[in-house]
Amino acid sequence: MIDRYDWPGGHEALWRFGPDTGPVVLLLLPPFEEANRTRTFAVGLLRALAVRGIASILPDLPGQGESLLPTEATTLADWRAAVTALVAAIDRPAIGASIRAGALLDCDADLAGRWQLAPQSGAALVRELGRIAGRIDRSAATVDVAGNRIATTLLDELDTATPCEVHPRRVVRLGTDPKDADLRIDAAPLWRRAEPGDDPALADQLADDLAAWSRACVGW
Amino acid sequence: MIQTGSGSIEETVRAVLRDVLGLSDERVAAFGDTTPLFGALPELDSMAVAGVLTEMEDRLGILIEDDDIDGDTLESFGSLVAFARAKVPA
Repeated sequence: MIDRYDWPGGHEALWRFGPDTGPVVLLLLPPFEEANRTRTFAVGLLRALAVRGIASILPDLPGQGESLLPTEATTLADWRAAVTALVAAIDRPAIGASIRAGALLDCDADLAGRWQLAPQSGAALVRELGRIAGRIDRSAATVDVAGNRIATTLLDELDTATPCEVHPRRVVRLGTDPKDADLRIDAAPLWRRAEPGDDPALADQLADDLAAWSRACVGW
Repeated sequence: MIQTGSGSIEETVRAVLRDVLGLSDERVAAFGDTTPLFGALPELDSMAVAGVLTEMEDRLGILIEDDDIDGDTLESFGSLVAFARAKVPA
């Protein structure tokens, strides 16, 4: 079901999945191009979660997706404020789930636990954006990266942003990623695919893990 | 799935191309030293090149400066593997 939520800078769309009772998983996609590459997979994951009896929300972030706010007007503080406001308006226990740099956005939100798929630091995101753009002139107001016009002040904010490490926290990584993880799964990184793809088997496997984690976090 | 620790550098590069470009196992298994890449694979555009390089960095634990990349680096599968070998500490 499509709904919307308010945050101090306006309102954005969100998609609801699953039952009207029990805990709610809030899934945050990475910004920019990786959001397009992971959206189909994310919806499959949340539908699989609903089959397991867990409700979820997939929000648009300010300046992303269907948002009326121009991408270049967006700040990291806006994203975090929107997530915090959205979580505050949920009247059920909420668990944060994120893919990649989505893990940078829920630090200030009142969540019962966090589940992070391949969390990415802001510095690593900025480095990737720079590689795609060729070169970024930080003295300019904006930079165009593959169709996204991004404020260089947002890049300044991202430089020092790190994934939220508040416990309880569960980190899931792919088998090809050597960094620390609570769970490692062999699969291809959909967020790097040149053409957006999908992996329903991976969505099913991760839904099992995320459902068990969500129940454990809220004792449900 | 090829792991960073156990797979050879060549197999890691092969898996990166498969995963980033969305190629089949059969297709990348046929890649040899002289298989042309940039200009020959329609999937390998500039955006995909960025993904290939970053994924190679992550899986091999190396750092690639964009100045390190020239026209020859992605000319063939062999040249890309040789580039990766030169970057990985012995």
